[in-house]
Amino acid sequence: MSLIVVGLSHHSAPVGVRERFVFDRESAADALRALTASGAASEAVVLSTCNRTEFYLVDGARGDGREPGGETNGKSATRAVDGLPSGPGRPGGAVDPSDPAPAVQAVLRLFADRAGTSVEQASTYIYSHKGRGAVQHLFRVVTSLDSMILGEAQIQGQVRSAYQDAAALEAEPRVVGPVLSRLFQDALAVGGRVRSETTLGAGAASVPAAAVELARKIFGPLRGRRALVLGAGEMSELALECLAAEGVRSIVVANRTEARARELAGRFGGTAARFDALGTSLAEADIVVTATAAPHPVITRELFARALPRGPKRPLLVVDIAIPRDVEPAVGEVDNVFLYDIDDLRQIVDDNLERRRAEIPVAERIVAEAIDEFWSWYASRDVVPVIRELREAAEALRRSEVEKAMRRLSHLTPDDQALVDRLTKQILNKILHRPTVRLREAASRGTGEAVVHAARYLFELDTVRGATEREEGE
Amino acid sequence: MMGMVAILHGLALTLYVIAAGVLVRTLAGARPRVPQRGPAVLAAAVLVHGAGLAAYAAEHGELPLVGLAPSLSVSALLIAAFLFAVAFFREARTLGLVLLPLVALLLAVGLALGIRPSGEALAFRGPWLYLHVLLAFTGYAGLAVAFAAGLVYLLQFRELKEKHFGRVFRFFPSLDTLDVVGRRALAIGFTALTLALGLGWAWTIRFRHSFAIGDPEVMWGILTWLTFMGVIAARAGGPARSRRGALASVVGFVVVVLAYVVLRLTAAKGMAFL
Repeated sequence: MSLIVVGLSHHSAPVGVRERFVFDRESAADALRALTASGAASEAVVLSTCNRTEFYLVDGARGDGREPGGETNGKSATRAVDGLPSGPGRPGGAVDPSDPAPAVQAVLRLFADRAGTSVEQASTYIYSHKGRGAVQHLFRVVTSLDSMILGEAQIQGQVRSAYQDAAALEAEPRVVGPVLSRLFQDALAVGGRVRSETTLGAGAASVPAAAVELARKIFGPLRGRRALVLGAGEMSELALECLAAEGVRSIVVANRTEARARELAGRFGGTAARFDALGTSLAEADIVVTATAAPHPVITRELFARALPRGPKRPLLVVDIAIPRDVEPAVGEVDNVFLYDIDDLRQIVDDNLERRRAEIPVAERIVAEAIDEFWSWYASRDVVPVIRELREAAEALRRSEVEKAMRRLSHLTPDDQALVDRLTKQILNKILHRPTVRLREAASRGTGEAVVHAARYLFELDTVRGATEREEGE
Repeated sequence: MMGMVAILHGLALTLYVIAAGVLVRTLAGARPRVPQRGPAVLAAAVLVHGAGLAAYAAEHGELPLVGLAPSLSVSALLIAAFLFAVAFFREARTLGLVLLPLVALLLAVGLALGIRPSGEALAFRGPWLYLHVLLAFTGYAGLAVAFAAGLVYLLQFRELKEKHFGRVFRFFPSLDTLDVVGRRALAIGFTALTLALGLGWAWTIRFRHSFAIGDPEVMWGILTWLTFMGVIAARAGGPARSRRGALASVVGFVVVVLAYVVLRLTAAKGMAFL
């Protein structure tokens, strides 16, 4: 039994390729059922987002799951495939299309079918990690260390949904069992830990988010604030999305083409304003975002003075994301006006990303701790039956010997007999304590199999249903 | 028992210093997020401090509201309690960076003087006096919190205006939060001080048959009340009222502290002034 992840992400495939491998909820459910029903995998979860599609599997076939993942097979992956654009090359851990693991083969076929191409061609963009490498990969994914935007928060929810969807899937056998259940719960816990113990997700990582961050530093929560957006292009739309998501109370859109302003405002529950009545809208706003294509400033110092002759009573945030700028810099000199242009916002984003990068070592340390903890549990699964059998065999032997002895010591009082019984139990526990600890330690170090063999040989545990038996069976 | 009062006050002082240290370390470090243990240490400090004052009351059979050292301790506790309440505005916890050193300073001076009864013979003691003093201290604590919020408001305003997106920008709360904290602290402080002055005058007229305007305590109280009025007036209407209010809170607090120092230095010997 081995843990495997097979998939593709923004590291290995451009968006034009990734979009062809996306699994929606329904197709994901079908894929998981197919994988487990065929016996290719005993457990399976699929994570499909705009940046990655990955199958997390417990291979139905025998494997110790301890081989370090992440090694590349050294093949280049820059060739084009049928109907798919040429890729940037696979990252470390590129899948070997001839990998004999049934789970890998089954997932490659699923991917190929999904994209309408051959296994050989699909595998150009696909990587795999096994054993500890698979665990490390999931933990890095959920903590956003593997994300396109370091520290992004959505991935935690996406991983949770992927796990919950798979766990709730009606299938026989169930597609999520004890291994993936524990793996994903640990992953979500480590994701939460990284978010609470580091500032990996702190600060805005995009220009619109930086504008919102600035607004929050002035107004606190934006719920109930009034916003004026100048321009009706793509940037204005992005700004409107951010403002609406923050719960801004009223949105006014002003544009040279009034129909376009009305259309855009209508989509966000706002109203359109005439461009030549800008002064009135300006006087009522808390937040002004300008993103027009005008070749000269739209909000001049003169216009501003006419609109607000005594200056704004409340703080007024003006975010000018147009190039060339829409707002005369002199407007920023007005008391209580906070004027920022695109360079200011980029500076915030750059600073935040720099700080996020500085947190990577801390996050990696947390991930490493979590991997050790999971691996200790996962590896000990092999030795637990041996420990149980060893104790049962020893206990049977002890009981038999005590019974024999008691027949010769029938003159002892019941209290003395109980004392002898207790004494033999204590001796047995003391003798077995060290081997038990050593077996668990060996398992967590990854050398459990050899020690299990030795234990079986030394204690004659030939009837144990352990790893050897499974190995032989497979 | 006296030892217990000093021990508890010393422990509270240590905890306040640790809580301030957590904030300083957070500001100085790369991470702008205040660790959870910061508010926990503050809560522990407030509890220990409260226990110290309870021990004082048990030891001396009177509330620690008479005499400079006990008064400083009570004032420090009230400011800390204000800060604890402010901490419920999650991002406003960082105001502790201004208030905790003030609390620690008040407590340290109190400890240096010795937290014990002054031995002053008062014409009247009783629940009304205690209520008067407690309300007055609440008024001063409110002004102290408004001062902290105002100071940080001005700092954050400058950072935003000059486009400095550094530690101060990330660490301190939004202008709006600071404005709300300052406004509420002023409202609570002003109400408490007005009630305290009303009670004090009622008591003075009842027992001394005068307004006792020449009494330094009364002068200080009136000056503080007028300062409150000035700060509240500065916040009322017009452009940039929040910033004007913040500036007025800072100036007002400084004026009140300076007035205390001057009045104390010039007060006639034997005159009971805190």
